[in-house]
Amino acid sequence: MRKKTLTVLSGLMCLVLVATLLGACTSTAEEPGTKAPLKIGMSTPSTGVAAEKGAPMGHANVDCIKYVNEELGGVDGHEVEALWLDNGYDASKAVTIVNRFVDEDCLLFTVASSGMMTAMMGIANENELSGFAAFSSPNLTQPPQHIYGQTPDYGDDWAAFAKYYLDNIWKGTGKPKMALHLLDNSTGAGARMAAEAGAEDMGIELRDEWIFEHPATTSSETTSLTTLPDDIDVLYISSTPAPTAIVIKSAVELGMYPGMTIACGHAGFTSALVELAGADIVEGVYGVYPTVGWDDDVPAMAKMTEYCQKYHPDDYGNMDYIISWAQSLITAEILRLAVENAGADNLTPQVVEAQGLKKLKNFDVGGLHGPVSYTPGDNRLSKSVRVFRIDDGVLEPITGWVESPFISYE
Amino acid sequence: MAELLQFTITGLTVGMVYALIALGFVLVWKSSGVANLALGQLVLLSSWFTYGMLAQAGLPIWAGFIVVIIFAVLLGWLIERFILRPLIAQPILSLITITLGLAYFIEGLVVFIWPASVAALPRLFPVEPLHIGVAVVSQQYLWAAIISLALFGLLSLFFRYNRMGIAMRATADDQRAVQACGIPVTRIFSRSWMFACVLAAVGGVLMSSIGGITFGLVGTGLKAFSVVILGGLDSFLGAMIAGPIIGLAENLGEGYLTPLTWPGVREVIPFIIIIIVMFVKPYGLFGEERIERI
Amino acid sequence: MDLPAGTRNYTYAQDMAIFRTKTHWTLLIGLLVVLCTAPLWWGNWLSVANLIGITIIAATGLNILTGYCGQLSIGHAGFMAVGAYTSAILTERLGLPFPVGLISAGVAAGLVGMIFGMPSLRVKGFYLAIATIAAQFIIIWVIKHWTDVTGGHMGMSVSAPALGGFVLKSNASQFYLIGGIAVLSIFFAKNLARTRVGRAFVAIRDNDLAAEVMGINLFRYKLIAFFIGCFFAGIAGSLFAHWARFISDEFFPLTDSILYIGMIIIGGLGTTTGPIFGAIFIGLIKHSLTHYLVPTLESSAIALPAGFASGLAPMVFGLIIILFLILEPRGLAHRWQLFKAAYRLWPFSY
Repeated sequence: MRKKTLTVLSGLMCLVLVATLLGACTSTAEEPGTKAPLKIGMSTPSTGVAAEKGAPMGHANVDCIKYVNEELGGVDGHEVEALWLDNGYDASKAVTIVNRFVDEDCLLFTVASSGMMTAMMGIANENELSGFAAFSSPNLTQPPQHIYGQTPDYGDDWAAFAKYYLDNIWKGTGKPKMALHLLDNSTGAGARMAAEAGAEDMGIELRDEWIFEHPATTSSETTSLTTLPDDIDVLYISSTPAPTAIVIKSAVELGMYPGMTIACGHAGFTSALVELAGADIVEGVYGVYPTVGWDDDVPAMAKMTEYCQKYHPDDYGNMDYIISWAQSLITAEILRLAVENAGADNLTPQVVEAQGLKKLKNFDVGGLHGPVSYTPGDNRLSKSVRVFRIDDGVLEPITGWVESPFISYE
Repeated sequence: MAELLQFTITGLTVGMVYALIALGFVLVWKSSGVANLALGQLVLLSSWFTYGMLAQAGLPIWAGFIVVIIFAVLLGWLIERFILRPLIAQPILSLITITLGLAYFIEGLVVFIWPASVAALPRLFPVEPLHIGVAVVSQQYLWAAIISLALFGLLSLFFRYNRMGIAMRATADDQRAVQACGIPVTRIFSRSWMFACVLAAVGGVLMSSIGGITFGLVGTGLKAFSVVILGGLDSFLGAMIAGPIIGLAENLGEGYLTPLTWPGVREVIPFIIIIIVMFVKPYGLFGEERIERI
Repeated sequence: MDLPAGTRNYTYAQDMAIFRTKTHWTLLIGLLVVLCTAPLWWGNWLSVANLIGITIIAATGLNILTGYCGQLSIGHAGFMAVGAYTSAILTERLGLPFPVGLISAGVAAGLVGMIFGMPSLRVKGFYLAIATIAAQFIIIWVIKHWTDVTGGHMGMSVSAPALGGFVLKSNASQFYLIGGIAVLSIFFAKNLARTRVGRAFVAIRDNDLAAEVMGINLFRYKLIAFFIGCFFAGIAGSLFAHWARFISDEFFPLTDSILYIGMIIIGGLGTTTGPIFGAIFIGLIKHSLTHYLVPTLESSAIALPAGFASGLAPMVFGLIIILFLILEPRGLAHRWQLFKAAYRLWPFSY
């Protein structure tokens, strides 16, 4: 038994060591080109609890960089060398990753989730390495430092919907009464910050006792919804699909919906919501989303579909793939602007930020989402969303690009 | 007043579902003295397997259920045979840790086989809620409560009158004596794990039909711990009573305390209850006092 | 400890020495030299090394609590969080110097640990484990909701540690700080085992009723164990906060607590080198999966099923914990002892 134990254990340890060494030995193949490659860092939660969103986003990042290098000839002839690492939605791993980005002289970096960017923020800001996150949140962009948000954050979602609601749905006089149901993390907190700062000015009545929080594991929200007055006009839910489904189901059970208006932030407004709750329950629910859908007729759709079908056909139809493809397109554009304005030999992270990122002006990202610009004092790169409504189980867009107003938090 | 009724009813029904999952835990503890910390993950695995059978393989509901039960039995047998049997005489730390390792492993396995992070089961119960006075309760919860009660009844009878059940209780009390009597202890462990997995599967199916299949099922497993601590680790009756108590405490706390304190206070109530119980009555309401002798 | 054949002790000092023979001293000095020059040739792995150093400190604390004293605690990440936030609040909000923050972090975590360790006086084994899980949740919940002080979900940014006039920004400089504290804590743990307190711990672990009969005050010593174990966790948490420059409640999940227990078991419970082995082993696997294996897998030509890479890491960890417990429950430290014994007796080892 002792020999067997020894052999098994030494075998296991050898396996681990070999895997580590193998990985360390495979270095990125350097193509013999005439121009120096431009190095960037990318990190997505491709394993771990967020893998369902993170894996397609990682695939899209890698596919798009491949597209940029193969078909567009890189950025002005320079190959884009992308260091892509998986953060497993683990904050300490994220810190080691951003350390590596800094050590390996990446010019900028991109991240998929606001949570991971929050973890990487401290070191990135300290080293003046700029980066942007596909899903943003106010703590990243305010006060504005070197971290930017690619798409409008959860607070912007609320602001955009609130504006749309007041303009198009609210038919009464006076102030509509709004309730919030929030996930107990930054997804919910983002909407809460915007609502608490902006409701008064926009003309919406929002009381503290109408703001609820729920955990991701909630199984029933009848308790919280019962405490709402009967004449509540609109309920805004900023959460992920499963708890959103529960909240809406509870509202239907209590007879509150249909009756009031329900709207969801983009984190929860996906086809999974319809699946989890059932199409009849979520009929007529509104939502906002920052990108187009897969079959929309926009310039970048063709190439994105082609690369997706070629390399990662399982990801076709996944909305997060679109955001990350757009993210890498924006990265390429930033590098292009930097090379154009400063010359390829003078590139450092600070130069790329000042001459590339900050010079973004109405870049259309192939129509995949709202135009991307940098305005001083506002680290959100794209500020528009579209408002959708669920009809017969399908998420139908009912507006064009709606810009969400800038709300400042002290 | 109407609110109080609503809170109470929601609390009671939600609590019954917790109690169902807690029953599985008590079962394993009662028969083998092992704390099954992989409870939440077993619930998750069974739910996903149900989804796999019903939605992906497209089996009709009754056939799917039978397959799920068989799967749960198999799973229990596998776990006991390969993971727990080698550790039969080890100290409790190793046993607890190995269930933790198992929990990790199952989480990875679930992501491995079903990469989607959420899925919905086809509807098992009608959606129309029942009205009790001015409060509403969804039929899913009611059915879950009824099934829990039925299972509780079955288990109690089994442990009291069935030979295998009595053998299980004896094993929990004193393994050596049972071995001396000629009862195969390993077979008893096997059976108890199989039952526990079946209970977890049933609990999982009920919970996922309510809220869909997400990683949150693991969190519900943790709440089941608070149920067993309050009720007593080795008492079925304790689990059935403590479940609704915890559910009530959560919902009443949420309804009445939230305006006074912070939103989200519902989350921490089961854990505060655990700490209080530890100080006041460590063995729970119905648990058996352990008297240690040197 | 095992000494090579032929070493005889003639004085008490020799008998008590940790590093007894010339070989021991040579190896120790060699190791210290290697560690001191590490920043020169470790490059990118320095940040991983810092993280592993921090986990070694926390694991040592947990080993004292669980390995020496037998009090199962699955809430270690929560106590680290207490330390991290205490240090962050004292240095950021109140502007106190870093060393003050560091020590206060340890003390604060120790005190919180003592409070949540009080159930250990009435329960043990699994009940205590559940109480510590509850402690973990309550601590994280308080951190999330006490937004005025802790910043809630938004977290807090933390500045780099500053000792005297030096600000330790780079990973290399922090390596010395973390390495130094790690060495100190290991030394402390080793010596603790040999003192009266340490022996009381071991007695409590082996049979607490007998220990009480012998005159060991269970109340006092169990609380001391919790204090010391959580003191280390607090120190580790404080170093972590200043290393990562940012903390939020998401940095200290329950899975980390479980991983710490796994670490000390894989390393070897109740030994001094156990936590070191365990932390290094698990840390290396975690980070090689992140930095090397996953990108290699994802970009390989073979079309892997979608969930392959995602599910691989937890499966591997779980499997390793299970296999170690079945095959080698005394951990890597035990294997190391056997190895040493084998080469000393070679060619007569069996």
